Amino acid sequence: MHKAVINKDRDTAVREMASYLLDSGRIGGVFSLKKFKGSESVDYGLITDKGLLEYIHPFYPVMPQNAGQTLSKFTKMTKPVLAIIRPCEYRAFVETVKRAQGSPDNFITVTYTCGGVIPLADHAKGLKNDVLENYNKAVSEGKNPQNTRENCRRCENFYPENSDILVSVIGAKKDTAEIFINNDKTKGLLEGSGITITKGTFDKAGLKNIIEERATVKKEQFTSIDKIGKGLNGLVEIFGRCIGCRGCNSVCPICYCTQCDFSSSNFDYNRTIIEKELEQKGALRLPPDTVFFHIGRMSHMAFSCVGCGQCSDVCPAGIPVGTVFNKAGEAVAAEFDFVPGRNVEEKIPVMMYKEQEFPEMGE
Amino acid sequence: MIEKIGIFLCECGPNIASKVDIDKIAADISALEDFKDKELVVKRHKLLCSVEGKKYLEDEIKSNNLTHLVCAACSPRDHDATFIGVCKKTQLNPYLYTIVNIREQCAWVTPDKAEATQKAVRLIHSGMNRVLYQEELFEKQLESNPDVLIIGAGIAGVQAALNLASKERTVYLIDRASELGGKTTRLHGLMTEQGSSLNMISQKIAKLSKNPFIKVFKSTILESIIGFQGNFEIVLKDLNNNETYEFMAGAVIIATGYDLLNAKKTDCFNFTEEHDVRSGIEIEALMSAQKRVLKKNGKAPLSVGIIHCAGREKVGYCSKICCNYLIKISGYLRTMYPEIPIIHYVRDLCLPTKDSQSHYKDAVSEKIEFQYVKNLSVTGESVKFTDNYGKTGTGDHDLIIYANAVIPSPGSAELAKLLNVDLDEFGFVKEAHLKINPVSSSGDGIFAIGAAHGPADVADSIIQAKAAAAKISTQLIPGQKIIPEIRVAEVLEAYCTGCQTCLKICKYGAIYFDEAKAVSVVNEAVCRGCGNCVGSCPSGSIRSKNFTNPQLFQEVKEAVR
Amino acid sequence: MDKQTPQGVKLGPKEKQKEIIISMFKKAIASEVIDTVLLPMKVPSGDSYAWILIKDKSFLDKAEPFAPIMPINAAHAIKRLTRKGKAQYKTAVLIRPCEIRATVELVKLNQVCLDDVLLMTYDCIGAVPMDDFIKNPEIKEKEFASFQASGEFNSACMKAVCGFCTDFNRTSSDIHLSLSDRGIFISSNSCKGDEFIKNSRLTPDEDLSDWTKKLEIIESVRETKRKQVFAQTAGETDGIVNFHKIFESCIGCHNCGSVCPICYCRQCFFNSSVNEQNSDLKIIRAEQKGALSFPNDKIMFHIGRLTHMSLSCVSCGLCSEACPVNIPVANVFSYVAAQTQTAFDYKAGKSTGDALPMRDYRSEELGELGELVKSVDKQEGLNA
Repeated sequence: MHKAVINKDRDTAVREMASYLLDSGRIGGVFSLKKFKGSESVDYGLITDKGLLEYIHPFYPVMPQNAGQTLSKFTKMTKPVLAIIRPCEYRAFVETVKRAQGSPDNFITVTYTCGGVIPLADHAKGLKNDVLENYNKAVSEGKNPQNTRENCRRCENFYPENSDILVSVIGAKKDTAEIFINNDKTKGLLEGSGITITKGTFDKAGLKNIIEERATVKKEQFTSIDKIGKGLNGLVEIFGRCIGCRGCNSVCPICYCTQCDFSSSNFDYNRTIIEKELEQKGALRLPPDTVFFHIGRMSHMAFSCVGCGQCSDVCPAGIPVGTVFNKAGEAVAAEFDFVPGRNVEEKIPVMMYKEQEFPEMGE
Repeated sequence: MIEKIGIFLCECGPNIASKVDIDKIAADISALEDFKDKELVVKRHKLLCSVEGKKYLEDEIKSNNLTHLVCAACSPRDHDATFIGVCKKTQLNPYLYTIVNIREQCAWVTPDKAEATQKAVRLIHSGMNRVLYQEELFEKQLESNPDVLIIGAGIAGVQAALNLASKERTVYLIDRASELGGKTTRLHGLMTEQGSSLNMISQKIAKLSKNPFIKVFKSTILESIIGFQGNFEIVLKDLNNNETYEFMAGAVIIATGYDLLNAKKTDCFNFTEEHDVRSGIEIEALMSAQKRVLKKNGKAPLSVGIIHCAGREKVGYCSKICCNYLIKISGYLRTMYPEIPIIHYVRDLCLPTKDSQSHYKDAVSEKIEFQYVKNLSVTGESVKFTDNYGKTGTGDHDLIIYANAVIPSPGSAELAKLLNVDLDEFGFVKEAHLKINPVSSSGDGIFAIGAAHGPADVADSIIQAKAAAAKISTQLIPGQKIIPEIRVAEVLEAYCTGCQTCLKICKYGAIYFDEAKAVSVVNEAVCRGCGNCVGSCPSGSIRSKNFTNPQLFQEVKEAVR
Repeated sequence: MDKQTPQGVKLGPKEKQKEIIISMFKKAIASEVIDTVLLPMKVPSGDSYAWILIKDKSFLDKAEPFAPIMPINAAHAIKRLTRKGKAQYKTAVLIRPCEIRATVELVKLNQVCLDDVLLMTYDCIGAVPMDDFIKNPEIKEKEFASFQASGEFNSACMKAVCGFCTDFNRTSSDIHLSLSDRGIFISSNSCKGDEFIKNSRLTPDEDLSDWTKKLEIIESVRETKRKQVFAQTAGETDGIVNFHKIFESCIGCHNCGSVCPICYCRQCFFNSSVNEQNSDLKIIRAEQKGALSFPNDKIMFHIGRLTHMSLSCVSCGLCSEACPVNIPVANVFSYVAAQTQTAFDYKAGKSTGDALPMRDYRSEELGELGELVKSVDKQEGLNA
């Protein structure tokens, strides 16, 4: 690993690095959060004009989409794009690559130590009462910011180690940019940029407090799910409010199916079938399969759930979808010693055929 | 597999070559950045559509083992089919080829040569983008069905049936009445008595019943029909028991005859049931039954007024047959009643057949009068008229016989809708061309004979029946193969929710609804590939083969860059 | 509203609305006038409601006929039940007026079959926003119940669209329940409704015009509000720049389309492969202006949705409820729908007999073009 310390405002340093790469022709564009002049909204943009780079806000605490999903939809490009995304978005992208959805060569990935994001609705209402300022202050002091998403408050994977470039944000002073470069290829790209690159590794020590705090929150959050109820009854309690909008499915970076089986004609019962079921049960909820959908989605994607929390944030019924899925996902993944997003070579347990498996059963 | 795209630039004689720089086009195309990883074979030719040109193209496709082909030439309307034909002789599927129009859309309309050259390059580039997204499509072959449905068993329909039926060709003859023969069975005689014409007609009907290749359906109507020439799916309905009968046929003949305008609607009569006011066809029926014409009170008439052109102004055309039959009828009357006044009230006389003139002369010599009028009105049996010089006159008769206008058969409009053929402004079936193509309709494979498309006498009906039969015999040859449209629409069942927007918009009836799956399905044998359904689907769940969104998008993407 | 209000039968006092309705359905099922009924029921967690199709009468005691919220437009439930297949049971559904209207529109789109479905509705005071309710279910439930009891039609606690809804009462249902101050009255709007009342051994003989007049007053209050909201929306959406601004924070989740009862496409056009562009094109587009925003073409989605469904929009407001970034989708869509429907002299949900304008092919249309067609016709002489 290599390191660079740039004595400039962090945002500016990143912008200049991006500008250099764009100028040199080594990248085709820059993918980052941006906020154009006169606009209140922050969204992802693909920027090819270096003059517009002043509008990128790479570390802005909002996640309008999981960028892993957005990036997975890019087909093969002739030149890579510099993509500045959060750790969970990066990990989600890795999981999409495993499903042949994303092309890793397309991007030079930049991630950073992430303090979390402000819930979409709160951000949309307008940032009152110095929410943003308080956030930035907490982050610069190496503390857990308050008022972030439920998922963010328990996230322990906020310091990725496999992206091409890592920027230190939590606990780092804003007027200095500490950048870590993970591989020689990327180091080579920065040649001639004027950035002094030395050997150096990223030290997680400064994040210990946050990690511990978040671990505690995770226990609390997962326990609260258990308290609602276990088993099928528990799921019915949790997902009872579900209105079947499929928003969770829509924004999930792992859910890549063009048409979800649960939205297809396979689950479109005719009246005769519904009335037969009604005969047996006496009463039937319509539309049917509310909980079934969630169980199905869980069984399809939970292994790869990176806990980004986008699902909870878009749920109109305020169901803690992300916490439930993350909890279930981590539990099953642990059985296989699998961690989603950790390593692009690591195969997804149930999607991989091994000739020799469960030898004990063969006996 | 590396794509090997052939781009053939046609000079079109001087048409294209003099307006664009073909060499530069070839050079620019060969150097396109986004085709660097594909193999391009760029050639030029003076006239690709010529015999020599087509052979050249064929050889090049084969020898270069092309995987895709772009012909930069003229309008697809001219030679798309030509180049498809060439591809069929090679290993290249004809639907992995596209034509780019650099003549009408470029050379002919862009005055500046440099600009035209650049435009041609961009058009060809668009075509190259498109062709890479095209898919192989395979022709289906259907055996053309030689059988014929004839709607209407009047003299026209009967004649057509007799001329068409054979071992290789079954005729389905239907009539909504319970008896065959139509209006001719109500006649006492025809004007031209070369032998007993009516006997000849009854003999035809008898022959018909004995013919094993003519299936006769009485009291039957057409329930539904979809398809096209050589491939119609037909459903008939029996009016007695509502049972349906389905079969396939290759052509349809409309021989539904005519109706007569109700006298009360002709604006020149004012009479009630008690008056002796009869139409020509009523008199024929009386003659047939009793061999005499008597008044309603059973007495012989003392003075007969014969009214021509009743309703002619109203309908807007001459009904052609009436003057002849009224003269015929006045002839009957003169034979029955040698002395009584018999007066024709005439606007103009229409005597088109070879023997009409002599019948007219005979009538005059038998003291049958012809009173020319400008307009008239009939109250009871009394006639009041104004002649062409403005003089008024009256006629007091005790029997009025009139000819009412020939109008389309009842139900013509519904039938035309079912068959999807046009009607003319009078409601008769519209001919493809009144003079040049009089027995064809606006629908391929659908013919109209006899009075179904306008006033016609027995001779007309027989001639037209034979004409339609001849056309069908040459066009619909038993054993012939037809190739239905290949570039048809296709429903993506997984995405269709069965809203039937596409079904409602299809003019050809080519889409049907699968009740069990609640989705729409395209009948590829009937679809003409017009694409209306594709445009109408809000979710894009129906697509057009060879005009898919990605193909069109790729083409347009370059064109609007 | 109908010029002539049908006559009704008094079922009982207003205070006992819930018991009266439940008892009515129990009787109807017992006497086989109907076999099943679709009613709201509280979900196990107690903070929301779901549509339950009931056959076993004993479940009726758990039903809540006048639910304070509308999490799902009942038209969705009716669609899932009736879209395909034959009915064995006669089903009655008691739903809000906007849900009736959405159902009527879905009939025209071949998504709902009303065979063996009895549409019933009532005078609707509105619905509480779902997220308000979830935060404070007990309080909001009590609040709603008190408004329902007192006949408060203009509470500011309801969804924004309810505030300007002028179709909150008698609509295209078979049966109407008037929740008047004099009591609950049942009346019929159709032959199916007549049959139900007859089979229930009821005789409509009470005049409801006094209640109708009271509702007219409320309608005019709503009409005023409607004008206000539309005037404001007109300003906010005037021109492409403003239109873009109102949808600025849109994240492209398509929740609005998913919850909309009219959006029936299994796969939205804007999710289909038509709209997937390869990367080269993304770069080309970015290079044109120097940057490309994500999600791509999000305004196109809204304009497309407006084009496809505004003629059938019944202003149920679920779109606004489902939007995670609080865009007032329902206001914008209602505003546009009011104009497109007026342009075609069409009212969404008024009657299954009214053909949907853009979808309905009429051979006699645009008469002025007919002359042009005739002259071209004369010149054609097809191949002999």
